[in-house]
Amino acid sequence: MNESERAKKLLAEAANCDPAAIPDDVRIGRFERWDSLAHLRLVLGIETQIGRQLDADESVRIETLADIAALLTPAR
Amino acid sequence: MTMPPKGRPVLLETKRFALRSLKPADASERWMNWLKDPEVMGPLNAPIRKWTVQELMAHIASANNIERYLVGIFDLTSKVQIGFYMVDVDPFHRRATFNIVIGEKSWWGKGVINETRAALLDEFFDNRGIEKAAGTPFARNFPAVFNYKAQGWRHEGTFRGHCASVADGSRLDQFQFGLTKDEWRGLRGKTAP
Repeated sequence: MNESERAKKLLAEAANCDPAAIPDDVRIGRFERWDSLAHLRLVLGIETQIGRQLDADESVRIETLADIAALLTPAR
Repeated sequence: MTMPPKGRPVLLETKRFALRSLKPADASERWMNWLKDPEVMGPLNAPIRKWTVQELMAHIASANNIERYLVGIFDLTSKVQIGFYMVDVDPFHRRATFNIVIGEKSWWGKGVINETRAALLDEFFDNRGIEKAAGTPFARNFPAVFNYKAQGWRHEGTFRGHCASVADGSRLDQFQFGLTKDEWRGLRGKTAP
């Protein structure tokens, strides 16, 4: 599973829906199931996956699947 | 004795909620319980307060609907208050800073804030001379950050280690979100008068 698929899976878990229900161009505030509590679960899920807390600048940038995937991508 | 001036109270309705300026008589056990609930107050980095009803009444009375508004959020169906806004206005700069508490946890994650704040933004921008709205959530108050972003506010900056945590003294980052009157009109599809 690549980072993009992992990002969609994480968001689906946070939003309590099927990954297939999440559009590829999903954006914060434009997908009903991505609500404030889902966002809380999403950020905590990302932190669990990467094993550390996000800093403020990282967490405030989360708006799309690409943003989530970028945070899941190991630094090279 | 001369009474301090009071402004025009807020009285609004959205699809699911009534919003109105609070009066000392609105002080309630329910509200006092929110103030001592760490789950409610923790994300706001607000100290746990065990206020008496008289202290809460005095706090409500301090809002003059000019420089400070305390606006209750009432469920239209049950008529129960579920939270409140504290809006601080700087009249010279025509700027309003929004603070929100949803005390009833059964309403968390149900879109209360963006439904009600939209009505308040309309009111303050259209009828109360405000030209800039601001909000300053703590960086790890992820639901609040979500709400600002989902409503179209801009992240204008990050105050690093801006406050000491009331829970453990650690330093907390805080965001500045902002929204101008013109940006809000654009988001609402309105044209300038």
